[in-house]
Amino acid sequence: MIRVLKRYMRLYKAFFYQCLKEDMIYRSNFLTLVIMDIGFVCVSIILFKVIYGHVNTIAGWTFNQSVILIGTVGIVREMAYLTFRRGFLELGNHIRTGTFDMFMVRPIASGIHLGMRHLSISESFGEGMMGVALVIYGFIHLDTWSWIIFPLYILFLLNSLMIYYGFSLIINSIVFWVVKSQELNTVVYFFMETSRYPGDIYRGIGKVIFTFIIPIGIIATVPASALTGRLGFNFAVLSLFIGISFLCAGLFVWKMSIEHYSSASG
Amino acid sequence: MKKYISLFHINWQNSLQYRFSLVVYIGGYSIYIGVLLYLWSAIYSEGQSVGNYTLSQLITYYILQLMINSIIFSFVSWDVIDNIKTGNFSNFLTKPLDYYMYWFTINISGKMLEAVFIMITAGIISIFVSDYVSFPQHLSTLIYFIISIILGIILAFEMDFCIGMITFWLTQVRTFKYMLQTMILFFAGAMLPLDLFPPLLIKLAEFLPFRYLVYFPISIYLGKVENPLPSFAILIVWIILFLVLSRILLVRGIRRYEAVGA
Amino acid sequence: MPNSIHVKELRKSFDYFRKEPGLAGSLKSLFWREKLYNEALKGISFDIAEGELVGFLGPNGAGKTTTLKILSGILYPTGGEASVLGHVPWKREPAYQKQFSIVMGQKNQLWWDLPAQESFTLNREIYEVDEAAYRHNLSELTELFDIKDLLDVPVRKLSMGQRMKCELVAALLHSPKVLFLDEPSIGLDIISQDKIINYIEEYNRLKKTTVLLTSHYMRDVERLCKRVIVINHGAIIYDGSVKDLMTTYADHKIIRLRFSSEFAGNGLGKYGEVIESDKLHAVLRTERRTIAMATSRILNDLPVDDLSVEDVEIEDVIKKIFA
Repeated sequence: MIRVLKRYMRLYKAFFYQCLKEDMIYRSNFLTLVIMDIGFVCVSIILFKVIYGHVNTIAGWTFNQSVILIGTVGIVREMAYLTFRRGFLELGNHIRTGTFDMFMVRPIASGIHLGMRHLSISESFGEGMMGVALVIYGFIHLDTWSWIIFPLYILFLLNSLMIYYGFSLIINSIVFWVVKSQELNTVVYFFMETSRYPGDIYRGIGKVIFTFIIPIGIIATVPASALTGRLGFNFAVLSLFIGISFLCAGLFVWKMSIEHYSSASG
Repeated sequence: MKKYISLFHINWQNSLQYRFSLVVYIGGYSIYIGVLLYLWSAIYSEGQSVGNYTLSQLITYYILQLMINSIIFSFVSWDVIDNIKTGNFSNFLTKPLDYYMYWFTINISGKMLEAVFIMITAGIISIFVSDYVSFPQHLSTLIYFIISIILGIILAFEMDFCIGMITFWLTQVRTFKYMLQTMILFFAGAMLPLDLFPPLLIKLAEFLPFRYLVYFPISIYLGKVENPLPSFAILIVWIILFLVLSRILLVRGIRRYEAVGA
Repeated sequence: MPNSIHVKELRKSFDYFRKEPGLAGSLKSLFWREKLYNEALKGISFDIAEGELVGFLGPNGAGKTTTLKILSGILYPTGGEASVLGHVPWKREPAYQKQFSIVMGQKNQLWWDLPAQESFTLNREIYEVDEAAYRHNLSELTELFDIKDLLDVPVRKLSMGQRMKCELVAALLHSPKVLFLDEPSIGLDIISQDKIINYIEEYNRLKKTTVLLTSHYMRDVERLCKRVIVINHGAIIYDGSVKDLMTTYADHKIIRLRFSSEFAGNGLGKYGEVIESDKLHAVLRTERRTIAMATSRILNDLPVDDLSVEDVEIEDVIKKIFA
C-alpha cells in the first residue's frame, strides 16, 4: 500500500514538472487567464453584494460568510485543476481520435494517468488565488473562531476534492457509452458554479438530491461551514461518508465504462 | 436564396444527431432552475423581499432568462473565430456566398431547433413549478414579448458577428471574447435583473444596448413596461447601427486577411 | 523455446447502428435504430516464438489492428483465448504492461510541444526503469536510431520520419520483450520507410525482441520478416515463410510504361501480360524472374519515356491465394 502511494507520488512529481514545462511554453496565456479568473470572481462578488444590498442573510449566511463560500469554491477548483480536471476535459478528444488507447496500455491506472497527463497550474490559478484572498478576508471579519477550524477546513477541502473527483469520474464515464461529450463538461462546470450558493437553501427533496446525488449543497458549503463554525458534528461525519462514497462509486463506474469501451471500440 | 435554405437544412440535421444531448439539456436546465428556486425561496422565506419583485416574478425572470439565453444569444462567433484562425475562411472568399448571411442562416436554423427544445423543457419545468410562474395578463403583452425576442435575436447575432470579426486583428480573441461576454451578460440582466442594481449601474445599463437582449423582453413579459414602442424604436436604431458596423468590419477584415496572407 | 504469443480461435464482433440518410432518417434515429454486427475476427489461431519477427499482412479492414489491440489489452475478444508472455492481455496487469510496447503509426504518444527527451524521462518514470538501465538503453537506442540531434527539438518541429524514430525509441526504453507495430510506415516517404524498417531489423537482431508488425505494404513485410501471416475478412489465409509466399503468389511485378510517341503496336504481349494499354500508356504484369530482361528489352525496342517497376498489389496476392 505504502509502496503504491510512494509510486504515485513520484509519478505525480514527474508529471507535474512535465506539465509545468509545457505550460511555460504558453507563458503569455498565463497572465490573461489569471486576469480573466479574477474578473469572473469579482463579478460573483458584485452580484452577491447587490443581493445583500436588498437582504441581510441568505439562508442564514451573512455576506462575509458567503464570501468565504465563494472563496472556497475557487480553492476547490484550483485543487481540482492541479490534480485531474484538465486531463478529463480532454477525454472526449482522446476517445474520438483513438489516443485514449495509450492510457490503457501503460502500467498506471487510467483514471489517474488521464488526470495527470495535463495538470494545469494556470487554468484556475487566478480563481485559486482570489479564493484564498476571499477566505482570508471573510475570516478576518468573523466574530468567533478557534484553532481547530484550520485543520478541519483542510480536511473538508480534501473531502470536497474527493467528491469532485468521484463526480467527474461518473459524469465523464458517460463518454465511453455515448460519443458526444461537449455537454458533459458543461455539466461538471455547472456543478461547481451552483455550489456557490449556501447548501442551507435546500429543503425537503431538494436537500436529499443536492446533498447525496448531486452534492452541490455540500462541496463548498461544508468546508466553509467548518471555517465559520456552522458545522454540526453529525453533518460533518455524513459529509465524509458522502466523500468516500462518491470516490468509490466514481472508480467503480469508471472501471465498468472502460470495460465497456474495451469490448465495443473498433 | 435557395442555397441558404439548404444550408438551414443541413445544419438542422446535424443538430438532431444525438438524443443523449436532449436528455442532458432538459436535465441540466431543470436542475439549474431547481437550484434558483431554492435560492430565492430561501431568501424570500425570511420575510425579505428583493426590489419590487414578488417571488414568482423573480422565478419567472430566471426561467425566462434561461430560455432567452439559448434563443437569443448567438454562438456563431466561436465558429467564426475558428474559421478565420485556421485559414478555412479562404474557402468562403472563393465561393459566391455572403459571409454575413451564411452565419445568419446558420444562427437562425440553430435557434429554431433550440427554440423547440426550450419550449419543451420550459413547458415541462413550468408544470412542476406552476405555483411560482406568472403569466402575462393581456395578449398584447405576449405579442410585444415575441417581437422583442425576435429583435433581440437579430441584435445578438450582429453583436456576436462583430466580436467574431475582431479575430482579423486580435490574436488573443478568445480570451477577449470571454471577458466581453461576461460584461454583456452582466449588463443584459442575465445574472440579476437590472433594476436590482445600485442606481449608478442602472443608469449605465440604460445607455448600453445589452439590456435589450434579456432584461427588456422579460420586463415586457412581467408587465413592467407600460408602453414598449419607444424602446422598440431605440432597439431598431441599435440594430441598424450594429448592422452597419458588421458590414464595415467584414469589409475591412477581409482586406486585412488578404494583406496578411492568411 | 516457449511461445511469446499464443492465440487460439480468437473471435471479435462489433455491433454498430445504421442510420438512414436524410431528415426523416435523423428523426427516426432519435427513437429506434437498426443494430448490425460486424465479425472482425472469425476465429484466428497462431503462435509466435520468442525473438521472431512476424509480419501481419492484409488489406484495410482485414482485422490486423483489431488483433493487435486485443493482444495489447485494449480490446476484449468475443471468444477464444490469447496469451502474451504468459499473461492474458485484456487483464491489463501492470506486470504485463511493463514488458511490451505498442506503437501505432500516426498516433502520437510523445508530448507535442516538448523535446522528445522529456517524454523519454517521463516514460522511464511510468515504466519504473532503474537509473542505470535507462541510461544504457537511452544511449544505445540514440546511437542505433540516430536521433542524437533530435533529442532537444520539440516534437512538433520534427518531420514525420524523425517523429517515428523517436516514438520507437520511447517505446523501447524499458526493454520490452514484445513489440507491436501497427502500420509504422504509414504516411512516411519511401526513404523514411526504408530507414525505419532497417532500424527495427537491427534492433530485433540485437535484442531478440519478439516483433509483430502489421502493414498493408508488401514491401515492409518482405524486407523485414521471415514469416508472414496473411489475414483477410477476419480469417487467416496464409501463415508461412515470406519466401514461399513471394514465389508462390507474388511472383509477378507490375511494369508501368509511358511512351514518348504514340504507340499503336500489338507487340506488348511478349514482354508480359497486358493489363492496360492505350496509345500513350501501358501496364504490364511480368514474372519476377524475367523482369530484368523484360525491362531492358522494352527500353531497347520501344519508344519509352518513363518506366517504373512496382510490386503487385496486396489485394492481387490475396486474390491469388484464394484462387
